[in-house]
Amino acid sequence: MNTARLHRALLLTAWIAGVYCLLVCAVMVYEHFAAASNDPWKSPQLLALKEKLAAQPKSAALQNEIRRLDQEFRRNFRQRLALDKSGAWLLLGGTLALVLAAGKAAALQKKLPLPQPKTDAGESFLKLAARARRALAGLAVAVAGLLLTIGLVNTSVLPANQAAKLPGQAGAAEAAPDESAPAPAEFQANWPRFRGWDGSGVAGQTNCGTNLAWRSPIPAPGHSSPVVWGDRVFISGGTAAKREVFCYSVSSGALLWRQAVENVPGSPPKAPEVPEDTTYAASTMATDGRRVFAIFANGDLGAFNFDGAVVWSKYLGPLKNPYGYAASLAVWGTNLLIQLDQGETPAEGSKLISLQAASGRVLWERSRPVSASWATPIVIEAAGKTQIITLSKPFVIAYTLAGGEELWRAELLDNEVVPSPVFTGGLVFLLNPASKLIALRPDGAGDVTKTGVAWANEENVPDIVSPAGRGELVFTATSMGLVKCFQAADGKKNWETNLDTEVMASPGIVGDRLVILGENGSLMMLRAARECQEIGRSQLPDKFLASPAFAGGRMFLRGTTNLYCLGPEAAPPAKQP
Amino acid sequence: MLRRLKFIAALGVMLHLGWLASAEQRFPPPDFESGYRMPATSTPAARQLWLQYADAGVLLAALGTAVWLIYKQRSRRGLFWLSLFSLAYFGFYRKGCICAIGSPQNIACALFSPDYAVPVTALLFCFAPIVVALFAGRAFCAGVCPHGALQDFMLIKPVTVPPWLEQALSVVPYIFLGAGLIYAGTGTGFVICRYDPFVPFFRLSGGSFILTVGAAFLLAGMFVGRPYCRFLCPYGGLLRLASLASKWRVRVTPDSCTQCRLCEQSCPFGAMREPAPAGISPPGLGAARKRLGWLLALLPVLVAAGGWAGSKLSPAAAQLHPTVALAERFVRQQSAPVQYGLMTPEALSLQRAAGNPEAILTAAADLRHRFDLACWLFGGWTGLVIGLKLVALSLVPSRTDYEPDRGACLACARCFTACPNERVRLGWLPAAEKPAPL
Repeated sequence: MNTARLHRALLLTAWIAGVYCLLVCAVMVYEHFAAASNDPWKSPQLLALKEKLAAQPKSAALQNEIRRLDQEFRRNFRQRLALDKSGAWLLLGGTLALVLAAGKAAALQKKLPLPQPKTDAGESFLKLAARARRALAGLAVAVAGLLLTIGLVNTSVLPANQAAKLPGQAGAAEAAPDESAPAPAEFQANWPRFRGWDGSGVAGQTNCGTNLAWRSPIPAPGHSSPVVWGDRVFISGGTAAKREVFCYSVSSGALLWRQAVENVPGSPPKAPEVPEDTTYAASTMATDGRRVFAIFANGDLGAFNFDGAVVWSKYLGPLKNPYGYAASLAVWGTNLLIQLDQGETPAEGSKLISLQAASGRVLWERSRPVSASWATPIVIEAAGKTQIITLSKPFVIAYTLAGGEELWRAELLDNEVVPSPVFTGGLVFLLNPASKLIALRPDGAGDVTKTGVAWANEENVPDIVSPAGRGELVFTATSMGLVKCFQAADGKKNWETNLDTEVMASPGIVGDRLVILGENGSLMMLRAARECQEIGRSQLPDKFLASPAFAGGRMFLRGTTNLYCLGPEAAPPAKQP
Repeated sequence: MLRRLKFIAALGVMLHLGWLASAEQRFPPPDFESGYRMPATSTPAARQLWLQYADAGVLLAALGTAVWLIYKQRSRRGLFWLSLFSLAYFGFYRKGCICAIGSPQNIACALFSPDYAVPVTALLFCFAPIVVALFAGRAFCAGVCPHGALQDFMLIKPVTVPPWLEQALSVVPYIFLGAGLIYAGTGTGFVICRYDPFVPFFRLSGGSFILTVGAAFLLAGMFVGRPYCRFLCPYGGLLRLASLASKWRVRVTPDSCTQCRLCEQSCPFGAMREPAPAGISPPGLGAARKRLGWLLALLPVLVAAGGWAGSKLSPAAAQLHPTVALAERFVRQQSAPVQYGLMTPEALSLQRAAGNPEAILTAAADLRHRFDLACWLFGGWTGLVIGLKLVALSLVPSRTDYEPDRGACLACARCFTACPNERVRLGWLPAAEKPAPL
């Protein structure tokens, strides 16, 4: 074969290979864009079925149809990937044929250069060097400009100096947070957390009126109990769509402000489902006298100043709790404590967290070998230490406030723990729900299961309602309304009485009165003494699950629809702003 | 017509590679709302040690073969087949990793991060080609580098890049090298690898941005010989420096140069240099000396100015570090919240930051301090590189023959057979036709 004929043959081969490649490419590009524009995941058919499923979540037929479609789409997708790969190999084969044929054809026609001698080498060298220097200078200016532009455009929101000046958890307030704590007497005079300043249910005041001072509607559902500081009373409420904090005037009952906890970093837009009986706002708020804190069942935690501005917020979820998270916050000095027990086994992420209340900064965090609980921790001064007492199946565990180190533990709990502990008369009183009332000495170390129990009582033990204790006496109330009084020191029962009403709220003690709030609105006063005496009983038109709060000579009760304030004198209902 | 066919061929190769790469897109996971837990992402096991050493052995063998082919055999065909092997082995089989181009980052990371130990193979991949370059020039680029091989195969119709532009752009690899080293030294990541335009093709997987950049380089590579190697490759910059001091150098002619200029047009990479100009006037030389003096004096100023400009880059540059980026996002989220999707990396990282913000913010502040210094050094390095290049451009060479630039020559051996003396040596021309030296 002569060169001309070979060249033509190679050219023809190359053309055929080229057209083949283009055809394969065209088919693949078409397939690619067709697949991209028909995203099976966004199939109207699938989306419509999903919407239907949302309306009928238990429809097995719908679920099966969605599964079938999903599987079909996945199978199609895999088939398309396989086709892509086959096409790519076909393309490679065609390309190789094209390259070889075209390369060989080109070699047959290669022409050699015929350069001429150069006469102006010196001058052209100088010109070239000068032009290269100018180009390089231009490049240098461009690089410097680029660096400066990038530096100016991409500004940083982090401070240039040391980390100490960085906001721990930035919030709306620009000024440095007030990290001081009010005096202990102020905590005692107010009602800064669930069941009062120390969680024992004992009011700092010695009496309170029972006349209805005001009542105000509650805009959102929730079972959190009121907390009170100065002239403000706070409650939380919310739904899957929105969780809020409400601030009322103590004197008038007017709703001063309401603030949603939203846009919390890391918090999923869709709140997890929580049983209706628990609500998203079962946890009682807490205040350090400067700020007020709220946690919700979706894991959002927010801090607000007393004017309603968000100070900081953080997401602690997702919270694995079969009935919904309901443990309340605790405040001690400048610490905000969160008992975040979760899961159905001890290895599912339960922990106790201490935050700096002012900034939300994590002071320490301790993993806990327990499952979910609904009890609120208390802080006590005992055995020369400031201890945090926590309850959850299967342990009572005490930690130091300062660093969260474990002091002692006792394996005493074998049921789901709802009632919170109290501390009185030098003993910690806790309930193993529906099983035992236990008095525990808080001066041990290590495992005190066998050595720490002072006494225990197993008769008609409450399962939900927390005990109340004052000095020498401890009171319990079952959810069926059976109230008992024990000697704190030795567990001797002084008396018991049946109030014939269901009780969900934990009792409070004001002066010498034991205040018990029935679920049906019965407000009962008993003498908090060694002898049983019912002082009085009144009726409120609401359903009550939250525990009463006492401050400033008043009592605050949260019903399912209204917030009530009982004081020494009756007053007209507040007007809403 | 042939040009069109070659263009179609090159396009076909690119489409093929790009197609395979984009075919790796993931199908979205199903919506699980029934408590199902997605399996944890697992990390593939590291390559077995003996295989890592085998890779290093292949590298050394390939380097030795390249040197033999360049200096002993003077064989372009041999280098072609070696390139093909390297493309297959280091490119498509090893998927561009481990790779000499990114290996200086391993060294920088090991120097500044106490918890990172550089693997012996990374050391070998970093230093073996440099050591070879100190003796025999850029043999690595000639036949061992898969990046170079891929671009070489795409070359259809080389056009000459204006020499002044070629010279000016030759500093870019050093600037990229500086950036790669500071990011590796600060623990940010290996940006040279992250922005490698060809590795996605080797791996048949990559983001659309880097695939587009890679396609652009391959398209440009049809007309501009090895654009990545000449104007961006940071490792090429190191080899260029080492080659300047190489013991042996590539010579076009096996005999004496006839100054026929046939070789000048045979180099598609603009590496051929003509003999020293003879016609420079004394006033011209005087001006050149004066300029050189000024440029030498200007060198510290350029370093200082570069350092200053680099320092202004620091806050922005630090944001490429994941910890700093997270701290930035976390703080911004407080003032201007953005709602991220459920389980998105952004939402999960914010959740992580909220768990212990102090640690994240403190770490970010420490990194910012490191970046302040690193960016100053980077800017100073950039100023130094530009200054030295300006100085080099003010020097008058002393060569007497047409010969490849020691630093720029990729030792591809294309120029050998352009020389009539080489053709005589090969027996392609009768000895009688050997041209007489000028």
